[in-house]
Amino acid sequence: MESAITEKRRMVDNIAISYTGIFDTEILSVLAKEIEGTLSPDDKVNKKVFKIFIELAQNIAFYSLERETNAEGNDTGVGTMIIRNYSDHYVFSTGNKTTMENIIPVMEKCDNINSMSREKLREYRRLQRNMPAGEKGGGNIGLIQVALTASNPLEYSLIKCPDGAYFYIVSVRIDKE
Amino acid sequence: MEDIHISGFKDEYMQPTVDFVEATGECCISGESFMEETGVFYSPLVEWVKAYAKRHQKIDFAFSLTYYNTSTSKWLLAILKELREMEKAGGQVAVTWHYTPDDTDMRDDIMDYMVDTGLKIDLVPFSE
Repeated sequence: MESAITEKRRMVDNIAISYTGIFDTEILSVLAKEIEGTLSPDDKVNKKVFKIFIELAQNIAFYSLERETNAEGNDTGVGTMIIRNYSDHYVFSTGNKTTMENIIPVMEKCDNINSMSREKLREYRRLQRNMPAGEKGGGNIGLIQVALTASNPLEYSLIKCPDGAYFYIVSVRIDKE
Repeated sequence: MEDIHISGFKDEYMQPTVDFVEATGECCISGESFMEETGVFYSPLVEWVKAYAKRHQKIDFAFSLTYYNTSTSKWLLAILKELREMEKAGGQVAVTWHYTPDDTDMRDDIMDYMVDTGLKIDLVPFSE
C-alpha cells in the first residue's frame, strides 16, 4: 500500500506539463509554445517532444470518442496529455476515450511498429505516405513518426470506463542527450 | 493562372508561407506546417503546380520548412509527384530543400522523398 502511494507521488512529482480538455488548434498552439520554449534547456530535445506532441495531440483531436464543440463551432476531441520529467529522459503520454472496435487496430499497429527496425519503420512510413490522403489526419503515419522521432517503443494501455467506453493511453520515452 | 502568396503564421493555424510566381517559375514553401486540415490548405497548391506544368517548361521549387507534421508530409509528396511528372514530360525541374543540419530525421525524410519520386533534391543546410 505504502509503496503504491510512493509510486503515485513520484509520478505526480515528476509532472512537467499536464493538460486535460479539448484539443482544438488554440490549445494546441499554447501547449506547443510551452513545450518548444520552456520544457528543457536542450532545443533538440524540445523539438523532439514538440514533434511527438503534435502527432499525438492531433490524433486526439481527430479520433477521441469524447467530443466537444469549441468557441468557433468546430467539433474537436477531448483528451489528456502528460509530460513527466526524469533525470535522463522525459515520458510523454496522451490518453483519450475510444471504443474496443476502434482501438484494436491501433494497438496492433503499435505492436507492429515496435517490432520494426529503424529502416523498416522508414519503409513503412513511405508505404503509408503513398496511400491516398484521407479526409482527416495523416492516415495514422503519426504513430510511425512518433516511434521514429523518439527512437523508443510505443507503450500503450487500456482502461475500462464505467460508461462502457475505454480509455486508451499511449506513452513514449524521449531520452535526454 | 494567378500567383499564390500566403503569409504564414504560427499562432493557431500553424501554416507556412507560400510564394508561387508564374512569371519566374520560382516557388517556395517556408516556415512551419502543422495545421490539422492540411487538405484544405494544400490541395490548391497541388492544383497550381499541375496547371503550371501544362503551360511552362521550367520550375524552381524550394522547400524551406523547419517543421511539418505527417499529415503535411503526404501533401509534400503530392507536390513532388507533380514535379516529377513535369520532369518526365520534358520539363526542367530544380528542387531545393533547406534543412537544419542537426535534424537527421528531416534529412532521412528528404532521402525517402527522393526514393519515392525519383526526383533529385538538392539538400541545403540552413545557414546558422
